[in-house]
Amino acid sequence: MSSTPRKRPASDALVAGAVVAILVALVVAVFLTGAGNSLYPPAAATTQGRDIRGLYDIVFALAIGIFLLVEGLIVWSVIRYRRRPGDIELPAQTHGNNVAEIVWTVVPTAIVLFLFVISWQSLSRVDAISAKPDIRIHAIAGQFQWQFEYLDANGTKVATQLAPAYDTNTGAGGMAVPVGRSVQVTLDSPDVIHAFYVPRFLFKRDVVPGQTNRFEFTVEPSEAGQVFRGQCAELCGIGHRAMLLSVIALTPADYDAWLQGLIEKSNATPEPLPSGTVLNVTAEGVKFDTAALEVPAPPGITHDVDIRDGGGAVLAAKDTIDGGTSTNYSYEPMQAGTYTFFCSIHSNMTGTLTVK
Amino acid sequence: MATHALNPAASTYARGGLYEWLATTDHKKIGIMYVVNSMLFFLVGGVLALVVRTELATPGIQFLADERVYNEMFTMHATLMIFVFIIPMLAGLGNYAVPLQIGAPDMAFPRINALSFWMLPLAGILLISSFFTGGAAAAGWTSYPPLSGEGPLNSPGSGQDLWIVSLILIGTSSILGAINFLVTIFKMRAPGMTLFRMPIMVWTILVTSVLVLMATPVITSALVMLFIDRNLGGHFFDPFAGGSAVLYQNIFWFYSHPAVYVMVLPAMGVISEVLPVFSRKPLFGYRAFVFATAGIGALGFSVWAHHMFTTGAVFLPFFALLTFMIAIPTGVKMFNWVFTLFRGQLTFSTPLIFALGFLTMFLIGGINGAFSAAVPVDFALHDTYWVVAHLHYVLFGGSVFGVFAGIYYWFPKMTGRMLDEGLGKIQFVLMFVGFNLTFFPMHMLGLAGMPRRIADYAGDAGWNEWNIAATVGGFMIAASMLPFLWNVFISLRNGKVAGDDPWEGNTLEWATSSPPPPYNFDSLPEIRSERPLFDARHGQTAH
Repeated sequence: MSSTPRKRPASDALVAGAVVAILVALVVAVFLTGAGNSLYPPAAATTQGRDIRGLYDIVFALAIGIFLLVEGLIVWSVIRYRRRPGDIELPAQTHGNNVAEIVWTVVPTAIVLFLFVISWQSLSRVDAISAKPDIRIHAIAGQFQWQFEYLDANGTKVATQLAPAYDTNTGAGGMAVPVGRSVQVTLDSPDVIHAFYVPRFLFKRDVVPGQTNRFEFTVEPSEAGQVFRGQCAELCGIGHRAMLLSVIALTPADYDAWLQGLIEKSNATPEPLPSGTVLNVTAEGVKFDTAALEVPAPPGITHDVDIRDGGGAVLAAKDTIDGGTSTNYSYEPMQAGTYTFFCSIHSNMTGTLTVK
Repeated sequence: MATHALNPAASTYARGGLYEWLATTDHKKIGIMYVVNSMLFFLVGGVLALVVRTELATPGIQFLADERVYNEMFTMHATLMIFVFIIPMLAGLGNYAVPLQIGAPDMAFPRINALSFWMLPLAGILLISSFFTGGAAAAGWTSYPPLSGEGPLNSPGSGQDLWIVSLILIGTSSILGAINFLVTIFKMRAPGMTLFRMPIMVWTILVTSVLVLMATPVITSALVMLFIDRNLGGHFFDPFAGGSAVLYQNIFWFYSHPAVYVMVLPAMGVISEVLPVFSRKPLFGYRAFVFATAGIGALGFSVWAHHMFTTGAVFLPFFALLTFMIAIPTGVKMFNWVFTLFRGQLTFSTPLIFALGFLTMFLIGGINGAFSAAVPVDFALHDTYWVVAHLHYVLFGGSVFGVFAGIYYWFPKMTGRMLDEGLGKIQFVLMFVGFNLTFFPMHMLGLAGMPRRIADYAGDAGWNEWNIAATVGGFMIAASMLPFLWNVFISLRNGKVAGDDPWEGNTLEWATSSPPPPYNFDSLPEIRSERPLFDARHGQTAH
């Protein structure tokens, strides 16, 4: 501390202070004019989502405060303490200050402990699972399609929704739920990891093969008639972005009618694919003649029938066809041996093909 | 410890030209090769990012053939940037700076040092070659099984295997490098260079090396298991044969979270060198800073599962608490940096400008990370573009800005020439504006529900404007590299001659010539503080 720095003009402090004040005013203006709304999640549609939104608002307020404090200090220092031509002497060589270090250790500790406690409280509400939910749905996420099985109170399946996304033209498709009732969803995957994500629920949960995850939600009564978009949020392969779903919020009466319709539709059609169907086809002779594989499938789900050899190499990849239509695939002659035919859309649809 | 009086005959090289670079064991040349190699892969990874941003600019799949190619693009972008750019780039700056800063003639094991470098271009070429052998890895840089397993819909072909082999090579290179750094720092410090007189850069490399040494073997085990599952009929991660898909995530993140600190601590070290020099003040709270660095390193091993909050397979309160606690030592560092500036005399040379960019961007990257520590909020944000924003504010806004601060700071030492200040400032402005235009809107996209890693989105989802902004910003970042490359090119030829100490530096690398001779020093100044050159310039009493 051998030298005293040149006295700084007071105008420096005024300029620096003004710039920091403008920074703060800008941030305030952004939020007062509503331009900051895009920094908030969309309006939550579920009780659990509203809880999460309340937590988000607290974290966000603290974040803005801390950002303005630290950024203000940086901007202030940058403007106020720039080196001037007259600055030959060294500034005061401050090596630190233990009181300051303790303050900026203890205060942030208190803030994060507070955040931890409130997020734990919120978590215990958001993650709560009831023993007897009003509605039970078993969601199956496979590459690259959702399906929703509606279960009764005993866990027995009563109907299956095979069209996961709401079609605005036909009004068909989607996972309907009654507003104001607790809905428990169990999640299973027959292939890779997926994630059930509905942005307006402010919620997602992974669908992990070999592990049944579950979560519960209650749609707010004011949301009756709304359709919420959702989609897979965990990379699951080439069809990831097309793994869409919708949740339709209905009044309890409308929901009962909707479910009744689904039950009738489910009973009217054969038990649908895709779930572990195995077809065994044997072709006689060296030449494999065109085989007709019947794949009963509802419209809206596409399939194909490709072939691979025993080593896993794909010999034939065919164009996909829409469920409910029929087509003929022609294959090149194959050597004798055991092959696998499979649908490249649904990895669990396979069968054995023996060429003798 | 022995004195470092060196035989002057040692300061001539027996070999010349290209052969000298190929065969060298000089830590300075190896460090420069690390930097150049990493910069080349940064450009490749950047081009892949532009491909991703071009595809996402508007709804529909217009630019790429199909989703598989898209998945390859972002997978390889992240893999190259993390494993072949940031980690080796910072290791390279450390390789150059650490022996100089502790007054040592070279690394402890010069030949092993050369070996760890030469594995990197090999691994990078292996990675890129997978584009020409039937398709690159496409399961994301995290490569979660079962998607990264075999199967026509998962990861068929050799791309994923090449990815595994490359990462094992890079991991081996990191482990060798870490041991080399640790032995160098513990055994080769000059007389008087006690641990608490080491430059912060050396401290951050020390902590980073401990992290690398403890964590990298763990991911290697995950990669080997994945390789066995794919090629040798194993079922470690196959849930349909008694394995566990989530097991991989636990092992992967046990490495990859500490790896985040491997990717950011040395950049913190760089700016902790730059801020004091250009403020003409010592680093505020040196010891607190050292303890905070060690604290981040230690806590870094107990927060891995915060990448797995939505799996339904981790104990959430434990990982939430420890994740929040990381904010405390990070906050200590932030305040120490700001109070280093406070009441200083700031010279706005390019290294300082990039360091200030680091402070501002890393501040945002730290704050938006706290949102995800609040577990229920993470349920909303996880795997959306919010996370993409967060990780780029930390790794680009933080690490990459720190890297450029370091390049502008040490380029005069490496080459003997100054980089042009005007071009440096043009680069900074383009990069800073482009960066924020690209990544700030991703917060809004994530909140509005756009998941990451999707090749396309509906036109009526409300995401169009922010996506266009992000794409424009991405091309601005690319444009910012042009003045940089031009700057390096012209400065190597005609740049201002730097002299030994162009910045009035504090640390020992500025006590030798630019570039330094082989084995670095003919003589060393007395080391009585963490700023030996400051003491030599102003006298101990000024300290």
